[in-house]
Amino acid sequence: MTLPLHHPEDQLLIGYASGQERAGKSLLVATHLAYCPDCRRRVASFEALCGSWFEELPCNDHDGLDALLDRMDGLLAAGGAPAEAKPSRPLAAGSLGGRPVPEPLRSWLPEAIDTPTDDGSWREISKGVWLSGWERTLSGTTICLLRMASGAPVPAHRHTADELLLVLQGAFSDEYGSYALGDVAQYVADTDHHAQGASEEDCICLFLLDGELIFLDEEGNPA
Amino acid sequence: MPEPSDQDPDRPSQSLDADRLDTLVGAVARDRDRTAFAALFRHFAPKILHYCLRLGADRSTAEELVQDVMLTVWLKAGSFDPAQATVGTWVFTIARNRRIDRLRKEMRPAPDPADPAMTPQSHATPEESAQLVQSSRHLQEAIGSLAANQSEVLRRSYFLEQTHEEIAEDTEMPLGTVKTRLRLALGHLKRSLGDKA
Repeated sequence: MTLPLHHPEDQLLIGYASGQERAGKSLLVATHLAYCPDCRRRVASFEALCGSWFEELPCNDHDGLDALLDRMDGLLAAGGAPAEAKPSRPLAAGSLGGRPVPEPLRSWLPEAIDTPTDDGSWREISKGVWLSGWERTLSGTTICLLRMASGAPVPAHRHTADELLLVLQGAFSDEYGSYALGDVAQYVADTDHHAQGASEEDCICLFLLDGELIFLDEEGNPA
Repeated sequence: MPEPSDQDPDRPSQSLDADRLDTLVGAVARDRDRTAFAALFRHFAPKILHYCLRLGADRSTAEELVQDVMLTVWLKAGSFDPAQATVGTWVFTIARNRRIDRLRKEMRPAPDPADPAMTPQSHATPEESAQLVQSSRHLQEAIGSLAANQSEVLRRSYFLEQTHEEIAEDTEMPLGTVKTRLRLALGHLKRSLGDKA
């Protein structure tokens, strides 16, 4: 398999590394990282930069902290296991095109997402283009799946904030390039872009939008 | 709690160097060494406290976060890998995650390194592997050669989560200058991608 060629902008990677980025876009970045060893290294470098800023923070203020250290004595003795590390979801629970979707997204998606498009789990917005019935809102970002049949163009639309796509199956293309598994496309508000499915199998993307999405009719008015 | 033998009543907070921090974490992991833990606590607790206070925690929540983070250091010292990160960076990532939990009440999505569906580094072709090493080195050089005033707006924007307006007010810079420096900083980092961007 080939590695992704289209990566999130550094703003997103630094924001993810520092913790400034909110949960919605962090879900897309983290899932891209599962596909992309290159960005994993890049995020590690940005974490090291944040680590150096953290090390520069003042190291005074011992008042109260010594008492806190004493209070931790019992906790250290108890030595319990940290309550975290929830188990990864079984691979079979989420796959697209016969390939398991990596964590963290796998735990978010409904099981059997790769179902036929005529069973109601996908809503057709124009011929050959569907949005999933599955939708989440995380920290103000709407998240769902976009599905494009080969050659089917996504209808003209307008968005007042960033739109992000991460390819989970197949490929699509727009005037900026061609996007395959693990690739990220980022569109700032009010840019013209015309994505269309470009693989034999349907292209399925994780679709993120800040704010409202408005599809336009042929005259360019809200449909 | 045992005290370090060379303690001073004023406890001058001399900074511990990276090798010393590695050794202390090793002693906690291997020997459950409380004295080593106390030294790590004295080094990091004030930083965690400042970090959480700066990001909007009240004093008692910040102290709880200090306790959470340091307890995690105690429990997970065995998983610290000095080849992957410095101790400072490792503790930062724990503090970052705990405060997202506590202050934002959000989870932080992260890839699972044990996930068989994750694309391993070894999937890269030899050319891609060479490219990975090179782009990583270029980025570190770019970070190291950031102008101080550009690094400062990055720090405020991403690490302290200040808005452009807050940075302008704090640093008495015009808003336009803040935005220009941020753009220059990101442009400088992006050039490390070379023709891959």
